[in-house]
Amino acid sequence: MAREVISTGNELAAKAAVEAGARFFGGYPITPSSEIMHVSSDMLPKVGGTCIQMEDEIAGISAALGASMTGTKSYTATSGPGISLKAEQIGLAFIAEIPLVIFNVMRGGPSTGLPTRVSQADIGQAQYPTHGDYASITLCAGSLTECYTQSVRAFNLAEKYMTPVFMLLDETIGHMHGKADLPDIEEIEASIVDREKFHGEPADYKPYKAEMNKPAVLNPMFEGYRYHITGLHHGDEGFPTEDATQCEFNIERLVGKINTVHLENNGLDDLPDYEEVDLEDADVCIIAYGSIALAAYEAVKKLRSEGIKAGLFRPIMLWPSPINRLEEIGKKFENRIMVTELNMGQYSKEIERVIKRNDFTTLLKANGRPIAPAEMVAKVKEMI
Amino acid sequence: MRHTLRFTGVGGQGVLLAGEIMAACKIKNGGFGLKTATYTSQVRGGATVVDITLDDEEIRYPYANEGEIDFMLSVADVSYHQFKNGVRPGNKIVVDPNLVHPTDEDRKTWEIIEIPIITIAKEEVGNVITQSVVALAITNTMTGVLPEESLIETMLSKVPKKVHEANKKAYAFGKAYALKAMETK
Repeated sequence: MAREVISTGNELAAKAAVEAGARFFGGYPITPSSEIMHVSSDMLPKVGGTCIQMEDEIAGISAALGASMTGTKSYTATSGPGISLKAEQIGLAFIAEIPLVIFNVMRGGPSTGLPTRVSQADIGQAQYPTHGDYASITLCAGSLTECYTQSVRAFNLAEKYMTPVFMLLDETIGHMHGKADLPDIEEIEASIVDREKFHGEPADYKPYKAEMNKPAVLNPMFEGYRYHITGLHHGDEGFPTEDATQCEFNIERLVGKINTVHLENNGLDDLPDYEEVDLEDADVCIIAYGSIALAAYEAVKKLRSEGIKAGLFRPIMLWPSPINRLEEIGKKFENRIMVTELNMGQYSKEIERVIKRNDFTTLLKANGRPIAPAEMVAKVKEMI
Repeated sequence: MRHTLRFTGVGGQGVLLAGEIMAACKIKNGGFGLKTATYTSQVRGGATVVDITLDDEEIRYPYANEGEIDFMLSVADVSYHQFKNGVRPGNKIVVDPNLVHPTDEDRKTWEIIEIPIITIAKEEVGNVITQSVVALAITNTMTGVLPEESLIETMLSKVPKKVHEANKKAYAFGKAYALKAMETK
């Protein structure tokens, strides 16, 4: 960790995009994500990239998808209402296997909700942003440093798995201003993953003829490899099909390729899917992510200073969730788990699904305000 | 040692910048600083609060813990009343008396200090935009949380060159008013 910068989460996300090799941004500004676009509009032209503000969110993601089809790493940034608008094109990215990083700086919803206030209520939306069957990769930054490192990772995952990747910040993390320690640029450059390319005869090229659980190999457009891109179910060359066996294979492959994410050592990607703090000897486990984990660190410290052995489990990759570790935590802590989040229990439902019990405590808030460490401390004391 | 400071105003007044400067200065001096702002969806005129946390040890939670704020400065009535209760009883709150009207009860609870921040910026410095630097100078003079020279240097690095002189002047005025207010007390 060799570069110390003073910045905000949103600025760091944009910096990460450019340093991860992205050269196209298409979008439409919305609070609290706008600074990602502002900074991109400054940085991208300096490295030969393009930042374009389109007429709306839908056009923004459409432009970014088009750019990605040419082999250019692309991204868009918005907040929950923008994701709702982009939903149709996100579906196209899933089925056509177009890499794209989608930043969502979460604010209160539904609809236009609470534009300037913090929320984590879009994590369910990130898991299932559009109709149909697919699986989503969703990362969630829990510090200023992670707004950078996890954003770099998002681009790498998008390229490797040929899929849209959600990079979630929340209003607090996006706007807070402080110190971040970033890896050296050489380290970042060495970690960069580029999508696979087919190098054989154009006549032999079958972009979607992928093995089970493997992504398509989409060569950049305009390089002599011709294929068809569609939102319809498609065969090996991308042309529409309704063949039952093919359609079944397509869906199983789309879901299956994402579910291998935790199984593989993703090279670059020795970044962890979760963080654990003081869990080894803990009697109580707090589960928190994003900016709420910032309060949880302080709650753990305070509880320990009062003799209560608390620890923290912080998922970084929200989807697919780190199921194996969550199962172990469920067994270890029995009814001494507290899940805390800024929504009505969206990740709590995942915990219940994974540990197959509902005997844990929740501390939830959905009024646009953060949860303070003192509230967590009080809740944990009620539990024990 | 942790210091928590709060600036309140309305959107567009520039209280955000003063917070950023303080956090950046602390970091440049080897410590940790975080600034968070809470604002409303009104473009201008909505209540704005900026919390600044400074510490020699790492800070994770970026908001002030209510009731533990060491010092507050306010230039708008609406946000003063909304956010004053975060300040530790007995501690200093600086207000612009032309814009903020504390209650009698407030004067018993906190040490309320009146400095006409906006008028100083507008009439004495000659540029209303410099109000955030007047506020910055008052805050640091009263709390002594940051080394002055380094704070001024950080401030100058965050404002355009053409207004360097105006902002240096604003800092000097803010400091003088703060010292005077502290003497009178």
